[in-house]
Amino acid sequence: MDINELKRHSDLSFDRAVAKKNLLSRADSEMVTVYNDHIFRADPLTIATATMLMEHRDSFFMLDANSNPVEIKDPKQFIAALVERQQAALNTYHQAYQSLRTLKE
Amino acid sequence: MTRGVLMYCFDTEQVPYHRVANASVALVKQHLELPITMVTNAHTLQRWVDRPEIDFITVDNECNNTKLGLPWHNLERCQAFDHSPYATTIVLDVDYLCFSDKLLRLSGTAHDFLIHDRAHDVSYRQALTYERKSMLPLVWATVLIFRKTDRVRRIFDLVKMIKQNYNHYCNLYRIDYKNFRNDYAFAMALNQINGFGAYDVIPDSIATLPQDCDVISHDGDGLCYRHLNSINSIQGQDVHVLNKGFVNV
Repeated sequence: MDINELKRHSDLSFDRAVAKKNLLSRADSEMVTVYNDHIFRADPLTIATATMLMEHRDSFFMLDANSNPVEIKDPKQFIAALVERQQAALNTYHQAYQSLRTLKE
Repeated sequence: MTRGVLMYCFDTEQVPYHRVANASVALVKQHLELPITMVTNAHTLQRWVDRPEIDFITVDNECNNTKLGLPWHNLERCQAFDHSPYATTIVLDVDYLCFSDKLLRLSGTAHDFLIHDRAHDVSYRQALTYERKSMLPLVWATVLIFRKTDRVRRIFDLVKMIKQNYNHYCNLYRIDYKNFRNDYAFAMALNQINGFGAYDVIPDSIATLPQDCDVISHDGDGLCYRHLNSINSIQGQDVHVLNKGFVNV
């Protein structure tokens, strides 16, 4: 293999990896959301925990992003807000990622 | 309840910070839609003509600090509590470019003081990892969100005291970097006011474009940058741009 071609390919892979990390960082930032004066991360763990608790209780307690306790009095509204925020962030990531994958070498 | 953005901007011979601030103000207007107060000095104020969207406060700023060997006049931040006309204030470095509404969301919480405790290099070369001998948890004073409570007044009073006795506090916390740095001063103040324990922070990391990266284009949604032969972009995410040359693009 031509060493220059290898170098060019490697540089492009690095640029793609940096772009992917920045897209993930953006998604991570977009998942930060505020509910009832508290900061939450609309991440899979928070959504899964809230969804599981809603099956057992009409209201429940969660820890916010700084481990402060919050009473969730309207679980449906809370989960809907988390899912909306998370999916908006991942939709943006998905679109940008598709563009990244189709970049010509 | 009033909410607004407070910035500090003092031109130096090397850097026309007012031009950096102009870029930042436009983005704040676009993404946060909040009123803006600019703390500046008489010399820099002359650079702004007919800017009704900005409320100006003129001060005689201190000029005896340097950063990377250049004059760096960012010593007034400890007075943000007194300077701010707002009930809830977002203090921004002028080189922090808002490409999202994240700070608007975060300014509507029950917290009376928020700050980042993480920042990362968007070129992923770990350019922001500094060796240090202190176990003091670091914070980044690039963005502060605060409400005017008694507790927050005490935080700012403590930062003023640390600034006045900076060498002593650097020795106390084993900090070798003796030029005044707001990051360290706020880290020490928050460490003490919170009983040397943990405190609430903004739960994401500041995307930071290092000094050796050149911005090659920017608009209201993001920027493209170059480092050596690599070109990449940041879109829809706030960025702290350390290379002020972007105002010439």
